[in-house]
Amino acid sequence: MKIWSRAGQVLREPLVHFLVAGAILYVLLAGRPPDAGDRRIVVDEAAVGQLAARFAQSFRRPPSPSELDGMIADHVRDQAYYREALRLGLDKDDEVVVRRMRNKMLALAASEAQVATPTDAQLQALIDESPARFAPGASYTLDQAYLGADDAAGRKRAVQALAQLRAGAEPTDVALPAPLPAHFTDQPASVLASTLGDGFVAALETASLQQWSGPIASGVGLHAVRVMRRTSPGAPRLADVRQAAENAWRARAAQQAQDAAYKRIVAGYDVVIEMPE
Amino acid sequence: MKAPLLGAAAALLAGFSLAGCEKVSQAMTGTAPAAQIPETAYPERVLWGDLHLHTANSVDAFGFGNRLGPEEALRFARGEEVTSSTGIKARLARPLDFVVITDHAEGMGSTMALYNAPRIMIRDPQVLRWYDMMHEGPRQSVAAMAEILAARANNTLPPMFRDPKASAERTHNVWNTHLGVVERYNEPGKFTAMMGFEYTLMQGGNNLHRNVIFRDGKDLVSQVDPLDPTNEATPDKLWDYMDAYQAKTGGKVLAIPHNSNVSNGLMFMMTDGAGQPMTAAWARRRAEKEPVVEITQIKGDSEAHPFLSPNDEFAGYGTAGWDIGNLMLNEAKKPEMFAAEYVREALKRGLALEAKLGANPYKFGLIGSTDSHTSLSTGDENNFFGKHSGNEPGPTRAMGSQSLGTRLGRFGWQYLAGGYAGVWAKANTRAAIWDALARREVYATTGPRMTVRFFGGAGFTAADLKSDWVKAGYARGVPMGGSLALGAGGRPSFIVSALKDPDGANLDRVQVVKGWVDAAGKLHEKIFDVVWSDMERRQASGGKVPAVGDTVDLARASYTNSIGAPALSTVWADPEFDPRFRAFYYLRVLEIPTPTWPAYDALRFKLKLGPEVIQKAQERAYSSPIWYSPAGPA
Repeated sequence: MKIWSRAGQVLREPLVHFLVAGAILYVLLAGRPPDAGDRRIVVDEAAVGQLAARFAQSFRRPPSPSELDGMIADHVRDQAYYREALRLGLDKDDEVVVRRMRNKMLALAASEAQVATPTDAQLQALIDESPARFAPGASYTLDQAYLGADDAAGRKRAVQALAQLRAGAEPTDVALPAPLPAHFTDQPASVLASTLGDGFVAALETASLQQWSGPIASGVGLHAVRVMRRTSPGAPRLADVRQAAENAWRARAAQQAQDAAYKRIVAGYDVVIEMPE
Repeated sequence: MKAPLLGAAAALLAGFSLAGCEKVSQAMTGTAPAAQIPETAYPERVLWGDLHLHTANSVDAFGFGNRLGPEEALRFARGEEVTSSTGIKARLARPLDFVVITDHAEGMGSTMALYNAPRIMIRDPQVLRWYDMMHEGPRQSVAAMAEILAARANNTLPPMFRDPKASAERTHNVWNTHLGVVERYNEPGKFTAMMGFEYTLMQGGNNLHRNVIFRDGKDLVSQVDPLDPTNEATPDKLWDYMDAYQAKTGGKVLAIPHNSNVSNGLMFMMTDGAGQPMTAAWARRRAEKEPVVEITQIKGDSEAHPFLSPNDEFAGYGTAGWDIGNLMLNEAKKPEMFAAEYVREALKRGLALEAKLGANPYKFGLIGSTDSHTSLSTGDENNFFGKHSGNEPGPTRAMGSQSLGTRLGRFGWQYLAGGYAGVWAKANTRAAIWDALARREVYATTGPRMTVRFFGGAGFTAADLKSDWVKAGYARGVPMGGSLALGAGGRPSFIVSALKDPDGANLDRVQVVKGWVDAAGKLHEKIFDVVWSDMERRQASGGKVPAVGDTVDLARASYTNSIGAPALSTVWADPEFDPRFRAFYYLRVLEIPTPTWPAYDALRFKLKLGPEVIQKAQERAYSSPIWYSPAGPA
């Protein structure tokens, strides 16, 4: 009886579970031939030097002989456990290990890409690919009179105001007070969009020059607008946008390196996905 | 309305390593082209930005799972799409005009260094435990970080964290790499990337944090390293550091305090920083070094509290949860602490101190910012990426307990979506933006980008609004942040003009908040509704304007602009002006009610929120004050 109860105790020990599971895995994975190299743990001079240097970096002094012995013993212990765990395949379903390895691979790929410096031709190609991204956008010089909320009453008022403007009234005679400039001089579309919304800017693209148009609706209400000058941007020149282009090139190069590295890696595998019914 | 930009993406753990980014930046040399961007005669356009943002270089941000560095933060702020630390595609619906990355000086880059360190080098069992937790996964990493922050507040950090020499060396390297990245992204006239850091001064868990903002580029700023509050633990030490920087480089620097609401009575004291009677010199120095205060951000709003302002029905926005204790929640809030924590009261205290000392330590302007620890400057309710990367969009963040180091206290929904700074600068450059901050011509919003103009002077009348009143405002008065020059017998009048966010909600009303000190030294405040929507229909009665109404549809997390007004303007003269009494006036602009971020989350993740959760609110803007002194402008 006593023996059995002690056996029961032993069987409840987590360590025993671990060893038994390990033994089972070992048997299952016995197909892996043990590599002779894997069976030698060598702590050579270089490795010892590295351990000592790391210690010195952390503690600002070299390790004492006993501290060094301790670190070497710990290193051997790490290696023994690590290799044995790998032999048993314990890394395979460990999410933390999997994520760590993935992050290391990503870091490798990114650091390779980022030491590179783009050539002018590469930057020009990037700009040519999507000039709009680097071009400042159209610029406008215009007069603007705010005519109030965009509702039925507001529309009616706005139409009257426009008639007055076309008949020669001053903008200040019809405009309602709002913290908006009455004149925009050579302002890029992006600035107008941030002040009045994208819809307003879209309407400007087709507005006639030198005359009052409207009512044009913005994100804040209705406007009478007189576009005096519309400057369409030429193609962006590398000299003007070099910095932005380099930033964009680098960001993309890092991403592409990661993607390419993954493609290279995954190409070496047959990926089979079996969806549940 | 604004399209939500969070994909319904499964939260993949992207977790880039940042080792590569550092290499890039080291490879970068040279500075941004010193483009000559002309300054206009007076500010014509408000610039939008975030003056408070953390990246993976901040100790806590990294620990909470942020893997995005300064480069991603800058790309995001200027409107590009980036992938968040939890793998969600993120983009701002509208780019910002400027940003300042303000990583914590203390232990800059240290959590990342710890994370990347070989495990064998970590001897301290406590640190080893944290190290392993961080490597285990995001949830454990957040828990480890909370423990580290608690240990820091309790002064029980293991020695490894406190090695000043190693820490200074690491900070120096991280800082210089960082400055190089910022330099590369600064595009004068288009997008301004400024240099700064956070001086995270904490006295026993009480928040005395300041953001330090430089006017200059890498050539000057790299001559100093950020100041570590562990060793230099009073505001005076920070001001000494700022003086030393200016003397050494000829550059300029200012500091912006934030989260007075969790300082437990320490941010705006009637004494100096050490608790001694305040001197005129100390008061002058504080006002000079700290011309602006961050009034609203993710960790609550510090304008006013119902406890201090019982007659203000709009006080108390963003105070729930923040008024129960200090930042670390290791000390409960006591009633006598409130007066030194809220901005309106501080402005009043400043008048009393000025009457006594001849100098006002609390003559500051107001800005909002995010304090995001995700590298993502998200200020909109429908695009909120959380205080930190452990709180990026997901089904549990609204109702979860968030208190650092505890499982009690503050809950996810009590965090605001964050604010932005509106800056009336004469150009989109570092110098022009910094100068606007220094002269306090700035304002705060809780996220929406309302345009707000405010001028004070003698003799403005309604007729002024029929002309080029902005020009008149500058010519005959002072803008927000200024001091009234009324002349003999002059009475103050104000041009007030507010415009809705072009991509947001209509406005309910504009209020003038007045504070003053009477002959007996007693402090007063009063709120005047000066212009509101549908004024004919919404007649004021008993001094109160009826509520604007509510179009929020929680089932759809939407609202309509069928109430309120897009623009509200008026000229207002103070009917109770008494030339003997020092006073200040600032604007509070209220939007109509809109859904808060938990309401968007509830829709997105099909959540059932508790009844205590605030799902709609009237977002707002706070202008910097205009001051009146019987002696005229200082």
